[in-house]
Amino acid sequence: MSETAQSNHTEKKDFLVRSSSLKDVRTFCREVFEKLQIEQNLKDELVLAIAEAAQNIVKHAYKDDPQTDDKMVVQISCKDNKLQIGFYDMGTPVDPNKVKHREIDNVKPGGLGTFFIQEIMDAVEFKDGKKPWINHLVLTKQL
Amino acid sequence: MSYKVTEDGNIATIHLDGEIDMDVTEKAKEVIFPHIEAGKEVHLNLSNVQYMDSSGISVLIESHQKALEKNTKVIIKDVSKSVLKVIMMAKLEQILNLE
Repeated sequence: MSETAQSNHTEKKDFLVRSSSLKDVRTFCREVFEKLQIEQNLKDELVLAIAEAAQNIVKHAYKDDPQTDDKMVVQISCKDNKLQIGFYDMGTPVDPNKVKHREIDNVKPGGLGTFFIQEIMDAVEFKDGKKPWINHLVLTKQL
Repeated sequence: MSYKVTEDGNIATIHLDGEIDMDVTEKAKEVIFPHIEAGKEVHLNLSNVQYMDSSGISVLIESHQKALEKNTKVIIKDVSKSVLKVIMMAKLEQILNLE
């Protein structure tokens, strides 16, 4: 833990809901985590978790609208050693009860993104999206 | 993602380069699958892949399973530390052929 990571810090950025935006999401996260001086291993894990959550928005919330011009917002906050990452989108409402990863021993393509998120983060919470947002996902990690 | 393919007899060596995410998985499949379907042994060199997400891992699983169907194999070579970590997180290090 660095002094920087302990300080309060919030940044957010919007991205077009497209798979081509995922690289930009990762770049944004890496830049923020660089400022927070989060060590490399943890940074890699956090970037993966965030990119998987953003991918879920593209892949699932906008499954029926792949050419959308909608934006999703990623907000990274660090307060009192607690990292909170918020995702906002206006896609199909997510039913949290249906968000499950595949059985990890049942090896087949797909179903790993949510598993990675749950492995890396301390908490995964779907909140009610406040207008104009439909979905609001919050990932947290104690640093 | 960029790639380079060299063939030597029944072995196709594919070097992938860059970050493998959902945006490039179709391209990765287009590069890898024809060699498997042709019954080649595929050596997938990932030394220059520094990031791979669940979509990329799915390509590795699908490649492995396709190879088994074709009685051949995919060998993943020189995997970078960061990608190995993701493979291990998915508990696939004993399933995929890693060298």
